[in-house]
Amino acid sequence: MPDIIEGPPEADAPPRPLARRLAWFIGLALAGMAATGAVAYSLRALLGLE
Amino acid sequence: MDFDALLLSRIQFAFTIAFHIIFPSFTIGLASYLAVLEGLWLTTRNETFKTLYLFWVKVFAISFGMGVVSGVVMSYQLGTNWSVFSAVAGPVIGPLFAFEVLAAFFLEASFLGVMLFGWKKVGPGLHFASTVLVAFGTLTSAFWIISANSWMQSPSGFAGTVEEGLVAVDWLQVIFSPTFPERLAHMVLAAYLTTALVVAAASAYRLLRDATEPESAMALKMAIGMLAIVAPLQLLVGDLSGKDVLKHQPAKLAAIEAFWETRTEQPFHIAAWPDREIEGNHWELSIPKIGSLITAGSTEAEVQGLTAFAPEDRPPVFIVFWAFRLMVGLGLAMIALGFWGAWLAWRGRIARSPAFLRACVAMGPAGFVAVIAGWVVAEVGRQPYVIYGILRTEDAVSPIGAGSVSASLLAFLVVYGIVFSVGALYILRMLAEGPLAGAHEAPPTEDRPPGWALGAAPENPGGPEDPAKPAPREDR
Repeated sequence: MPDIIEGPPEADAPPRPLARRLAWFIGLALAGMAATGAVAYSLRALLGLE
Repeated sequence: MDFDALLLSRIQFAFTIAFHIIFPSFTIGLASYLAVLEGLWLTTRNETFKTLYLFWVKVFAISFGMGVVSGVVMSYQLGTNWSVFSAVAGPVIGPLFAFEVLAAFFLEASFLGVMLFGWKKVGPGLHFASTVLVAFGTLTSAFWIISANSWMQSPSGFAGTVEEGLVAVDWLQVIFSPTFPERLAHMVLAAYLTTALVVAAASAYRLLRDATEPESAMALKMAIGMLAIVAPLQLLVGDLSGKDVLKHQPAKLAAIEAFWETRTEQPFHIAAWPDREIEGNHWELSIPKIGSLITAGSTEAEVQGLTAFAPEDRPPVFIVFWAFRLMVGLGLAMIALGFWGAWLAWRGRIARSPAFLRACVAMGPAGFVAVIAGWVVAEVGRQPYVIYGILRTEDAVSPIGAGSVSASLLAFLVVYGIVFSVGALYILRMLAEGPLAGAHEAPPTEDRPPGWALGAAPENPGGPEDPAKPAPREDR
């Protein structure tokens, strides 16, 4: 099974375009925040809180 | 002993928080360690740092997850089991917890995703920024939690009474209560020591099997460097924190030192058997006059004993006295281990001393034990109050039945026993395998759709399946 934790790019790999890297950076950060929020609201719903 | 809702709620909180503190006390230090490893890899391009990063980030991810799960339980418990405390102190202490979630936890949770899944996607610079932000998030988290707890130890900047509720009148005084700076420094250093001991133990374990493994040797040197510097520093910061206790919580200090009489030239009890019933110690092994010197800075200083406080205002002495000695004893052992390791590193023999490596493995859990012992001193020593001098613990509990608390306590015991045992065993297995396990495996091959241009090429050129490779001669 492939390792889900991503390692660094190869030393000789050309860098990706900055816009694409920034888009991934913001996208992953928002996804992490959304996942945390989803878990929090699920717990609130589970406990029947308003 | 009557197992009522109060005692059961206290047992439940003690159990869940003792379990929880294991994880943040490890991840605070580990996040900073990861930032250092990645920074060193970026500046030196030494593959050892990259291998160590990729190994310890897996341990961090699992520990972080378990810390989150066990931490969520704590916050809900404040509402379910300690609703009077929440109602009375919520307007003051609630925003500190909210800031912890908003400013720290979301910072960690957001950028952990980039750390784990985005190194190739975002590039080395932005990835390093994410690692630093996660490390900063863990420290910010410690800031707010210690701020809230310090306010409970030495409340300031508020108005009102228990009956009408407390409100903040000066937020700076609430956040930076008198004991806060020293307690924050003490906890952060404790977290760094805990991480250094785990890294040292895991690396030493690997080196006992293969003394030539460069990654483990490097990690051990880094951990020992941290121990040699931070462990003595922790002793000084702990002393400053103790001086705060003398000033703001004299009954707790008397319990820590098993002082019963108020007097000058207090002895220092190395060991004793304190007993609240006889208001004294059954036996004691003491050094004369040193108790006043250590706690108040002079042998002539008068230090209050427990009999200066009403019996109902005294904390449990036996637990506090021995928890403190366990913490300090382990701290001294950490200093000794750090100096021993530094001496061996100076002689170039750190990875080839079996006695030292075994000592490192034995000391692996010492940081966790010392942290829990320290929190026992802080929390049991604050009794019989939940907010020192303001709200008694017995008045802070929710109006719920013992049956409800028993049921939830039993559920916690079972669920924690299963979930965290599995998690801890997985981490221990990973640590035993070491940083090189899987580090040199070939990258996964992509699926090859029909019609792909290189579909006919061998997956492993030159390997045994390569038809272009000459077959081995059987006549050799």
